[in-house]
Amino acid sequence: MAKVEITVNGVKHAREVEDRALLANFLRDELGLTGTHIGCDTSQCGCCTVHVNGQAVKSCSMLAVQANGAEVVTIEGMAKNGALHPIQQAFTECHGLQCGFCTPGMIMAVAGLLKDNPNPTDEEIYHGLEGNLCRCTGYINIVKAVKRSAELLGGK
Amino acid sequence: MEHHLLEVGGVRVSRREDLRLITGAGKYAADWELPGQLYAHFLRTDRAHARIVSINVEHALEHPGVVRVYTGADAVRAGYVKPMTMLTFKGKSGMQVRVPERPVLAHGHVRCVGEPVAMVVAESALIAQDAAELIEVEYEELPVVIHPEDALAPGAPQLHENVPGNLPFEFEAGDAAATGAAFAKAAHVTRLKLEVTRVAPNPMEPRACLMAYDAREDRYTAHVHVQGVNMMRKQLAAYTGLPEEKFRIMARDVGGAFGQRSLAYPEYCVQMLAAKDIGRPVKWVASRSEGFATDSHGRANFVSGELALDRDGRFLGMRLDWIAEMGAYLTPTGPVSHLRNPSTCLTGVYRIPALYGCWRTALTNTNPIAAYRGAGRPDIAYVIERLVSQAAAETGVDAAELRRRNFIPPEAFPYKTPTGSTYEIADLPGVLEKALKLADWNGFRERRRRSERAGKLRGIGISTVIENTGAGLFPKDEVQIEVAANGAVTVYSVSHSQGQGHETSFAMIVAETLGVPFERVQLRQGDEEHPLFGNHTGGSRSTVGAGSACHLAAKKLIDEGRALAALELGVEPSQVEYANGRYRTDHAERTVALGDLAKAKTFSVTAEGSFSSTFPNGCHIAEVEIDPATGVTEIASYVTVDDCGRVINHTIVEGQMHGGVAQGAGQVFGEHVVYDRNSGQLMTGSFADYYMPRAGLLREITMEEHPTPSKVSPLGVKGMGESGCTASLAALTNGVLDALRPLGVQHLDMPLTPAKVWHAIQAAQRKN
Repeated sequence: MAKVEITVNGVKHAREVEDRALLANFLRDELGLTGTHIGCDTSQCGCCTVHVNGQAVKSCSMLAVQANGAEVVTIEGMAKNGALHPIQQAFTECHGLQCGFCTPGMIMAVAGLLKDNPNPTDEEIYHGLEGNLCRCTGYINIVKAVKRSAELLGGK
Repeated sequence: MEHHLLEVGGVRVSRREDLRLITGAGKYAADWELPGQLYAHFLRTDRAHARIVSINVEHALEHPGVVRVYTGADAVRAGYVKPMTMLTFKGKSGMQVRVPERPVLAHGHVRCVGEPVAMVVAESALIAQDAAELIEVEYEELPVVIHPEDALAPGAPQLHENVPGNLPFEFEAGDAAATGAAFAKAAHVTRLKLEVTRVAPNPMEPRACLMAYDAREDRYTAHVHVQGVNMMRKQLAAYTGLPEEKFRIMARDVGGAFGQRSLAYPEYCVQMLAAKDIGRPVKWVASRSEGFATDSHGRANFVSGELALDRDGRFLGMRLDWIAEMGAYLTPTGPVSHLRNPSTCLTGVYRIPALYGCWRTALTNTNPIAAYRGAGRPDIAYVIERLVSQAAAETGVDAAELRRRNFIPPEAFPYKTPTGSTYEIADLPGVLEKALKLADWNGFRERRRRSERAGKLRGIGISTVIENTGAGLFPKDEVQIEVAANGAVTVYSVSHSQGQGHETSFAMIVAETLGVPFERVQLRQGDEEHPLFGNHTGGSRSTVGAGSACHLAAKKLIDEGRALAALELGVEPSQVEYANGRYRTDHAERTVALGDLAKAKTFSVTAEGSFSSTFPNGCHIAEVEIDPATGVTEIASYVTVDDCGRVINHTIVEGQMHGGVAQGAGQVFGEHVVYDRNSGQLMTGSFADYYMPRAGLLREITMEEHPTPSKVSPLGVKGMGESGCTASLAALTNGVLDALRPLGVQHLDMPLTPAKVWHAIQAAQRKN
């Protein structure tokens, strides 16, 4: 067991965790933040993507102890004061989700993508979403949502 | 397309359900928690076919934190051994289906890799997982049979004593003699042997179930993903021999299903044993690896097809010899959907005077097959449309023209097909011409020349399809509508969305019928406090069935409210008019709102309807470009013209089409569940090994609608959730083959991976 202090969505949490506990399980099981989904066990699907110190990370590929002292943002921390984050707004406007299971991870991954590249081309979007699987939408509307997010974030 | 946005709580959204799903507030199966819950882990066999000599669970039981371990003996003792089958009709020569036993934990034998042999229940999921590794199972390996043709051959290893020849069911449709006669006078016969590959449905949510038992009520509560609570309840009851009222099914958000999540899997029944014995809820969350091995697979059909044509390119007859692989056991939906749906639409969109199909189901040492988006419909459409395009190529007739020449003409509808189904209505030439124009069919040669100049191979593929939407497991669909005193309208349905957006489209139907604002109407799906009769979401039937029942219930609400309003207004019901949520009469100034009728007591109605199949149809045209140096295929354009009747919500329909076509493209270009033919080991057991479509595979779909009115539903709708899958397999494959045919390649089976295409090009070039 190991002691960790992790700040999640601005709130500091001190917990004792199993050494092998994954950050994804810590968020879901310890903190009850079930918006972070686990869709695979080989780190391909991206459903569990969160931000660790400002970087998009698949939380299944990181131990909770590795996040000790880190600032983590999950999907639950994206909307502020009752207002949707522009990427959340873009996903619903463009019908970029159906069952919604991949959506939190998608939104967190897109936030990471647009932070590095605020105006991506189509090819850059495809590349940027390589690590996030969706089974419902065929991705067409997700790609539109990424472009719309870029517009909204750019204040257009 | 610009989406029409709705206002919900001051936010602009495409769908009512979006708000919770984009903020992480959805509630999926693994998100349920109950106080005192224990955790289950399944030990799964790594053998494809073996006799279980012994199981030693002693060390697992000694592991700290372990509460109990279950094995096949417990399953057999409980009598949880025989799953439900939905196959109720008779087969060839009156044959009854032979359903093999499948104890919910393997007993005596294991018959496919991944089959659960023991369940550990412990204080945490990790403890249960650790302890499962301490279980010792001794096996005596048995010969393995993986390919269904091998399984049906004489001398094949036998899987089940009560299924001689590994043939649980044989079925035929059409007229063998008439078809034989048609072939005898044919000027040309096209023959293809096709594999509709085995694929993994892979909804993004892994399977999970939290099972609780209430001793006081002697009732189980299953928190699990469903496509409809009734379908899950019926199967759990059938598997365990308990009455249906012993089950309460709790489900909120479902992270994709595609037919795979309509099943009551054996694991849930094992959890029932533990929840009752131990008296604490038992939670199990599957890993994706478990999912690949044990969530039902789809398709897996092996078909030899022949199409007979006369001198003018008119179809005279078609004959199919179809092997439907079933895996090691029969699922409730696998055999029925892979036989009934293809036989219902055996004639496709064509007037073919003579038809004959023979279906043999085959058991193999593989994971069981069940319905997967389309459930036999994409399979039959793929077979027919491959045959037709092949015939066009062989006879030198344009692929669109050959279709045009053989369509069932609009005036022939309702059309009684030679296999006994009745297609309600379609305008096939209209659909085709619109699609040809949209795809610029005539400009293809020029585009091909341009590709050639760039060193690329270009092909155009077409498919024109029709499919029967599901008539349903239950003969009717019920919907309840309840009005609150503040005018809020709550709609209850059995049909359960797995991403289709029922909360939006059903609320739209009710709001429109009642003439009240959309914001005022809420849908509750599978609410166990409001038990209703009716079908799950499957077979593209939800808007046709539950959607229509929503409309009928709203109309019934208006009518019943009229009588109540008349009393309040002191007039005859005939003197009361209803509009936009309010009753009024010429004889009084006062009006009565719907909510006013709920002031004294709940104002609620339940309406029902029986809805048979609708026949959505369409034409998809795919243009592809292949780089011969790498074998990589790009989808250059994709056009759809579909007739799904009246559309309730265009955004949702467009999304369904995108998703369906992408699943088809996934199967065409890469998806394939592969078992090693000698050992029976699963070679594609994770997302690291199994191809999944990713962003960029399908860049854009150009869509148009070509509706003809259906009378099956009072809304005029036809189902369309599976249309994208049904049409895309053949459209894309035909496109690739059209690109390769000039090199001499006549046939390839899916998946058309870069390696397969490259090798085909190399082989063809060597020959040339």
